[in-house]
Amino acid sequence: MGALALQTEQLLPEQIAELLGLSGVPGEIVGGLIGAFLIANIMLTMTAIAGPWAKRKITAAFTDRIAVNRIGPFGLLIIIPDAVRLLSKELIVPEGVDRPSWDLAPIILPASALLGFAVIPMGDLGPVNIHLADPEAGLAIVFAFASIASVALVMAGYASNNKYSLMGGLRAVAQNIAYEIPLIITALSVVIFAGTLQMSEIVAAQGTALFTIAGVSIPAWYAFVNPFAFVLFLVANMAEIGRNPFDIPEAPTEIVAGYQTEYSSVYFVLFYLGEFIHIFLGGAIMAVVFLGGAAAPIPALEFIPGFVWFVIKIWAFFLFTQWCRSALPRVRIDQLIEIGWKGMLVLSFANLVLTAIIVGVII
Amino acid sequence: MSLEEPLPDTVQEQSADDLEALLGDLVIGREEHINAPGFVIRPDTVQESLRRLRDDAGFDHLSCVTAQEYEDRFESIYHLKKFDDPTQEVSVVVPADKENPVSQSADAVFRTADWHEREAYDLVGIQYEDHPDLRRILLPDTWQGHPLSMDYDQDQPQIVALREHANPLQEDHRSETDSDTMFLNIGPHHPATHGVLHVKATLEGEQIADVESDLGYLHRCEEQLCQNSTYRHQIMPYPDRWDYISAGLLNEWAYARAAEDLNDIEVPEYAQIIRTMGAELCRMAAHFLALGTFALDVYGDFTAIFMYAIRDREEVQNILEDLTGQRLMFNYFRLGGVVWDLPEPRDEFFENIRDYLDELPEHLEEYHDLVTGNEILQLRTIGTGVLPPEVAKSYGATGPVARGSGIDYDLRRDDPYGYYDELDWDVIVEDGCDNYSRLLVRMQEVEQSARIVEQCIDLLEDWPEDERNIQSNVPRTLRPDDDTEIYRAVEGAKGELGIYIRADGTDKPGRFKIRSPCFSNLQTLPEMSNGEYVPDMIAALGSLDIVLGEVDR
Amino acid sequence: MIGLLKSMATTMKHALDGKTFTVEYPETAPEVSPRFRGVHKFSQERCIWCRQCENVCPNDTIQIVQDDMRNGEQYNLHIGQCIYCRLCEEVCPVDAILLTQNFEFTADTKNEFVYNKEQLKNVPWYKGIDPLNSRNPDRSAWVGEGDGEIDYQ
Repeated sequence: MGALALQTEQLLPEQIAELLGLSGVPGEIVGGLIGAFLIANIMLTMTAIAGPWAKRKITAAFTDRIAVNRIGPFGLLIIIPDAVRLLSKELIVPEGVDRPSWDLAPIILPASALLGFAVIPMGDLGPVNIHLADPEAGLAIVFAFASIASVALVMAGYASNNKYSLMGGLRAVAQNIAYEIPLIITALSVVIFAGTLQMSEIVAAQGTALFTIAGVSIPAWYAFVNPFAFVLFLVANMAEIGRNPFDIPEAPTEIVAGYQTEYSSVYFVLFYLGEFIHIFLGGAIMAVVFLGGAAAPIPALEFIPGFVWFVIKIWAFFLFTQWCRSALPRVRIDQLIEIGWKGMLVLSFANLVLTAIIVGVII
Repeated sequence: MSLEEPLPDTVQEQSADDLEALLGDLVIGREEHINAPGFVIRPDTVQESLRRLRDDAGFDHLSCVTAQEYEDRFESIYHLKKFDDPTQEVSVVVPADKENPVSQSADAVFRTADWHEREAYDLVGIQYEDHPDLRRILLPDTWQGHPLSMDYDQDQPQIVALREHANPLQEDHRSETDSDTMFLNIGPHHPATHGVLHVKATLEGEQIADVESDLGYLHRCEEQLCQNSTYRHQIMPYPDRWDYISAGLLNEWAYARAAEDLNDIEVPEYAQIIRTMGAELCRMAAHFLALGTFALDVYGDFTAIFMYAIRDREEVQNILEDLTGQRLMFNYFRLGGVVWDLPEPRDEFFENIRDYLDELPEHLEEYHDLVTGNEILQLRTIGTGVLPPEVAKSYGATGPVARGSGIDYDLRRDDPYGYYDELDWDVIVEDGCDNYSRLLVRMQEVEQSARIVEQCIDLLEDWPEDERNIQSNVPRTLRPDDDTEIYRAVEGAKGELGIYIRADGTDKPGRFKIRSPCFSNLQTLPEMSNGEYVPDMIAALGSLDIVLGEVDR
Repeated sequence: MIGLLKSMATTMKHALDGKTFTVEYPETAPEVSPRFRGVHKFSQERCIWCRQCENVCPNDTIQIVQDDMRNGEQYNLHIGQCIYCRLCEEVCPVDAILLTQNFEFTADTKNEFVYNKEQLKNVPWYKGIDPLNSRNPDRSAWVGEGDGEIDYQ
């Protein structure tokens, strides 16, 4: 637990500033910028692996195929030709698009997701604690950032001057509103447990052992403490990031690709990127709030750096989204809204009240 | 679930004279088609005649409408059947004036006449009075002339000046006050239209107010191709290309059945068993694809189910490749039999099929786990795309679409051909009338097909070696007598696939008409999807399992 | 809910069993049936220029040019237009035209698919196998004797 306490003390920008010998406001600014740059790059790298390569490989495994295997080991180098291919395509700007917002939307989407990572504690890598900022309202901030994405989707859908896009945009809003509330309410139940909104504190609160069976101690991760909330959060999170069975804003077989129908080339890449970063952000929130952040599942594995655990948890979530994609049909928009407002919302409030009672009475 | 009801005894059988008496003075002449009496009626009494036949004699299935032009007249033929007993057929022949071909529309009696008459108008040029919407259906609106009419000028340029015809791409000038609805083109290039189908949808929010299918993108003049080919050899490769989704042998059988009955050709029993086996293998392949694409439409991306279905279909295709030499365009049937005996070594071939059939139940179980047992899929498909049985009958829906609506109609049993009546199998009927029922029907039909194939290979294995006669002797040139007419149908993968042939005394058909099951089934789309959500329309379209090659021909 | 879990379990089972059905095509050429119908092979030595193949061809893919003495001069076949129905092989009385199992052919333009008799002669066997032998046993089954009127010219 000593390591954890240390983590919470010194954040990445401070460490960088110290390393550069800067202090005060310039140190904060320079350290913050460099730290943000590093973390953004880590995320972009992960997206680059996930998008052109991992997603293909995972889908292929589920569908009994081989997928990319020609370039590099396991076809890993397909990333490079794919990047070249995507970026070198013609950027087609359809007639009648609403230029400022049409151009802004592809930037807002990945940016909002990247911003969310600012407050995520990603564990330590050697002596470095990868955590950009730790405001007291961390959890609220990350949800705030993540939900900017729906603005981007609406902008894209509306500005594209395409009926499919418009429908995709409208669906995105309806879906986000319906699932944001259960998502946050469910997260609140964790806040009740932890007694704080600060990310590092939420992680620290999960650091104790819940109970020990035959020498194996189960950590007090909120996924184990309150599995019901975990499942609720998982479902709401899938809807929030728009993955199957909730990929309604895209729905290729119904509305072609929804808000991204008219986008091509770099703009499309940005959308694609944004989606993947969004999945990773969803995974990061899951990890922090329910899976003990960057902690190892059992003490025996603590020699592996926390950051590695963190990445593993994010990728596990990514894998889960792909798993669902292989097996679950898409629900219809009205069913989705119904599930959101009539099911999820009620359940999440029930969960909140129950948690409050349990926490108030027992603890 | 699956039950084979014995044919109700109440289906009364009328002789041709009874029917003539029923129609009374509406009949102005008699014609004799092979296997169906034909009554000639005046062009302004079509509705009256058909209504009497439907209501009083029970001919509730307007299978096909054939239009053709003779030297002295135009003619529409309404091929009527009974859903309860399709062996009872009657043809209502409606001659129309050569100069001014006007004929009453049957749309008020049978909804299916809508599209069939549009097609007749489009290709032959008969004007149907009282038709709700007599426009071209297969050819573009700007097309000049009617290609199957006698005075059609092949060399006429089809580029039409704007002043001669409205521009199909004209601006939309619908009134502003009507702005609650949105017009949306779904297709012709859309991930879920299974080819080049263009669905013009009017939306109210996300709900479908109206859909209209725009066909003809894949129109290849298949009927005319067949009219220019010889009976004996040249027509047979083409049926493979109607429903090209691996239902080739079933299509070939449609032509083979019509042409064999027309020319009085006997098919050896051994060849019939091979045909039955091949056809059922094709049906399995076609249904697997239908399952895969339906899953694709409902699930979204190219998901596991599609791939698993393709994998199973691939196995069937391997077997078919061994048998016929090709994976899709088989050209395996010949008039009077099949072209090849089973491949040598026969044991290996039987073993391949047996291995496959042994694995099949396990795979089907997997589909049930993946698809039918999935709650979200049930949520999506149960109670959506509802097609009540009466509506289905009126639209002439057949095949799994009809059987999913509780109509116990399968030509393999009701109008037996091949070796089906010797084998033990069930007709699958589900009465949910929705997308889910149609899915279930297809999945269970795969099981039944497997049963048939299994019995066939048992028979083939024990067949004495010196009686393996795969083809009867058929003259090299077939010239059926002038003016013999026949309409024959088989149970294709999508439903009743009928062929009408009129011989004109040469070695090529005078008129060759294809009754495509997909064409009639697709007509039910508005009934299924109006008032539903866009995703349900897509699912309904997927559950119809159309192949545009067969719709447009 | 159980159905959903079952679905997910099924796909996961497939993901973990490591079986794939992808054929890595250029490296492993697929086995095709001896009856498989690919590009035609033509033998001028055997051909008796009876023009039956030209007549039977459903879409005029075969074009034969003869001189005044009815000696064959050209034999052209558009392998891009051909529908691979094998009727030409079927009617050929001397096995002069045969559909190989070779399905690998490419060209830059459509017109290059018009093969003349030399090109047709040089079409390679697929995997070096002449499928005629495995097809021959079947041939006698319907070209042979039988009752009724026989009219094979």
